[in-house]
Amino acid sequence: MKRIMTVDDSATVRQMVGFTLKDAGYEVVEAEDGVDALEKLKKTPVHMLITDLNMPRLDGVGLIREVRKDPANRFIPIIMLTTESQESKKLEGKQAGASGWIVKPFKPEQLLGVVKMVLV
Amino acid sequence: MNTAENQSERQQYLTFRLGEEIFAVDVTQVREILDLIPITRVPQMPEFMLGVINLRGSVVPVINLRRKFRMEQVENTRESCIIVLEIQLEGEQLVIGALADSVQEVLELGEEQIEPAPRIGTRLNTEFIRGMGKKEDDFLIILDIDRVFSSDELARVQDVGELAEEG
Amino acid sequence: MSDPVRDAFREESAELLLDLENGLLELAESQDDDEIIGRIFRILHTIKGSGGMAGFEDVSAFAHEIEAIFEEVRNGHLEVSRELLNQTLAARDLLKAMIDDEGESSLRQEEARQLTEALRTFFPQTNETAISAEVSDDVVESREETTERLYRIRFRLAPDIFCKGVNPLYLIRELKQLGRCRVIAQVDEIPTLQEFDAEQCYVCWDLILLTSAGLNAIRDVFIFVEDDCELQIDELSFDDDEDPNRLGEILVERGDLSSDDLQAVLSERHKIGELLVEKNLVSSSSVDSALVEQEEVRLQQKRNSAGTSSIRVRSEKLDLLVDLIGELVTVQARLSQNVAGQTESELCNISEEVERLTWALRDQVLNIRMLPIGTTFSKFKRLVHDLSQELGKSVQLVTDGAETELDKTVIDRLHDPLVHLIRNCIDHGLESPQQRQTAGKPSMGTVHLSAIHAGAYVIIKVEDDGIGLDAEALREKGIAMGLIPANSELGDKELFSLILQPGFSTAKSVTSVSGRGVGMDVVRQEVESLRGTIEIESREGAGTCFSIKLPLTLAIIDGLLVNIGGDNFVMPLSAVEECIELDHRTVEKAHGRNLVHVRGEIVPYVRLRDFFEIHGPLPELEQVVIVEVEGERVGFAVDYVVGEHQTVIKALGKLYRHLQGISGATILGDGTVALILDLAGLSKLAEREEKELSA
Repeated sequence: MKRIMTVDDSATVRQMVGFTLKDAGYEVVEAEDGVDALEKLKKTPVHMLITDLNMPRLDGVGLIREVRKDPANRFIPIIMLTTESQESKKLEGKQAGASGWIVKPFKPEQLLGVVKMVLV
Repeated sequence: MNTAENQSERQQYLTFRLGEEIFAVDVTQVREILDLIPITRVPQMPEFMLGVINLRGSVVPVINLRRKFRMEQVENTRESCIIVLEIQLEGEQLVIGALADSVQEVLELGEEQIEPAPRIGTRLNTEFIRGMGKKEDDFLIILDIDRVFSSDELARVQDVGELAEEG
Repeated sequence: MSDPVRDAFREESAELLLDLENGLLELAESQDDDEIIGRIFRILHTIKGSGGMAGFEDVSAFAHEIEAIFEEVRNGHLEVSRELLNQTLAARDLLKAMIDDEGESSLRQEEARQLTEALRTFFPQTNETAISAEVSDDVVESREETTERLYRIRFRLAPDIFCKGVNPLYLIRELKQLGRCRVIAQVDEIPTLQEFDAEQCYVCWDLILLTSAGLNAIRDVFIFVEDDCELQIDELSFDDDEDPNRLGEILVERGDLSSDDLQAVLSERHKIGELLVEKNLVSSSSVDSALVEQEEVRLQQKRNSAGTSSIRVRSEKLDLLVDLIGELVTVQARLSQNVAGQTESELCNISEEVERLTWALRDQVLNIRMLPIGTTFSKFKRLVHDLSQELGKSVQLVTDGAETELDKTVIDRLHDPLVHLIRNCIDHGLESPQQRQTAGKPSMGTVHLSAIHAGAYVIIKVEDDGIGLDAEALREKGIAMGLIPANSELGDKELFSLILQPGFSTAKSVTSVSGRGVGMDVVRQEVESLRGTIEIESREGAGTCFSIKLPLTLAIIDGLLVNIGGDNFVMPLSAVEECIELDHRTVEKAHGRNLVHVRGEIVPYVRLRDFFEIHGPLPELEQVVIVEVEGERVGFAVDYVVGEHQTVIKALGKLYRHLQGISGATILGDGTVALILDLAGLSKLAEREEKELSA
């Protein structure tokens, strides 16, 4: 079973992403922000990362940079959750090594579509 | 006008000869008259079923009327011919040939010239006879040709066929 | 009033609905086959889209409901269950009724509403709102994209693309989901091992994609990588009248080769691809890739033209054509026969030419009537599905040889007998799942339907893996019914064939499915009227197999013309093995019994002269034609063999319907009629006669 980490400071978003992915048969690890995510990644390697951009402590772009530094995570897909107004952040994230993005708000099937697309 | 009305009641008949007797069939049931051509015998069939002929690509059965009417058998002559008839059998139209000694003529008979079939005095099964016509001194036996091949008659054909099968 | 758009949709949807039905039935067998689910989804999507376009709003809306369910299935949210399949099949039938405009529309609406509700209960709860909100824009979207287009897609990802968590495979996989896709990897830039950096992407890809999804859908696939990717998408034309581009032109168009270089090489007149590679102008994978493109374009052109050049013809017209060909063959035979005595060579030449043309024409016309039997097979899938529901048995239908071709008339007339046999297999042949498990069999029973060519025949088998036939029970029943004598020593095969007798049935209970013992004799009659035979093999506990052997065509056969006492007969040449001479000493030696030695084997023979009571002069030397009838060798003694004959089969007609041993008639070159022998029937008749004589 593929394991996916979802990082977001909003419990509602985490839950919605979590439910959708679990329903689709993925194992889900939840993290509240970039720091929490990095800690959990040390113990639990994942196949994919879905992260929010605006987060306390360590934001999404910072998290992506850190994750890519770890050789074990150099090639895992990373998806950003963005909003329409975050065009510049999106570019930043891409340069940091994000694989793709999903624009909020999104429907469960859109999320799954993207996950299925990048998680080969 | 008068004559036209009279004619509408008159019917045309084709007359043909078997031995001494003259028979007539409704001309509307006659498709054509063929000179005698080779007939292919079909085994295991009753004797009056002579066999089949090729009528422009169709296979048509030919019946020996002499046998059918239990008359004595004679050699075919140059005048022998096959009358191709359209008959109704169990609601289906069927084309068959009938072997005749010779074809006579087509004549018109009014209803008044036709009398019912006599109960006696003919060797034929009266069921086959629609009536008796008269022309000059000769009697004509007008055949109900559909009856000749009615299902009763055919049932008998089948019986014979089945007997033949059982050998 | 007929509307061409609506008509076109009706026609298109008829096929789609058939595919849908087949898809659903296949899905019943392999419930998680993504390929099938995808296909079902696409079919529903197309019906929804083109239905809306053609003005079938109700159809479109209802198709959307079913599609929504299968979207869930496709996304893995919903498992395929038997109930789901049954509801979907019912929905499919309703769609068909809506399109065919059958039944009262208010009733249909009510039915659609109920089915929609039933279907909605399958939705996983969380997604319900999202799906219903999606309805309207989805319909609009699908209206634009129905025609298939061919695209060439080249993409080269940035070398460091792996470091962004992008796997090129997912791009290719996404593209493959859009339609038919050929992928060619260009590997020329992969360096030697010393210089190779495993974290770099060296490969670029060419794809030839046939899709109805449209350019935007293709671009969407690359949305995450568009900044890190050289992407080129071109639509390729495959118009009928346009020759596909030559290899060189494709390479120039793609920018792999300059047109000057191409001209220079072309002037040398060799195989262009090899030359270009040899001269290091392009890499060999570029050439391979261009060749794939050429191939795909050609294929699409072919498919296109196949679609436009076929026409529908009423089958009566074909029947008439066959009749005319039959007459032509007959007339041609007469011509040949008449010319045979002539010395004028010009006439002989013409006659030979006419003969050649006639035969070619005959083969073509008969060929037109040949259809693959598969269309009939697919109808049976539904039958099996419905019956297994009705009878509470779990049954799968396996078919083989769907491509086997057979005369259209034969296929049409074969439908009912096959339905009967399949019903029989499921109702009487297959046990209940519990019984099967107790017997150590898989609980799902199998009905195997197959068709195979064997010479001038097609053999169609209906086989089950059920309880098989009980030969002893059949024997007892046969004796009780007076069909066989009490002391008869019949083999299993003969006992099995008792079930083909009228009124013979061993089923203990009567079900709505198989009726009451009527029918199997009708199957036999129908098969025999097609000049076929039916054979039964069975092993108790292991299953039963019905084999139907049918001639390929009903109209014209190759025959062997023989003569007995001046009468001509035709034997179907396909059954004839050889001819041997029979002199009178052999007959005497055999002490009156009709047996001949054929290379060490003793073969019984029927003397047709006696059998048909044909008189006429007996020849010095008779001939025995050895034929194979139902797996056994039998001889038929005739006066002499005339030769081969193109036999146009004519019916003998109603007056001869009870005739046995003769299957029809044909017209010979001289205009006379010859009878066609039914060899199987004759040998049975003769056998019966001999038994009665010896009894």
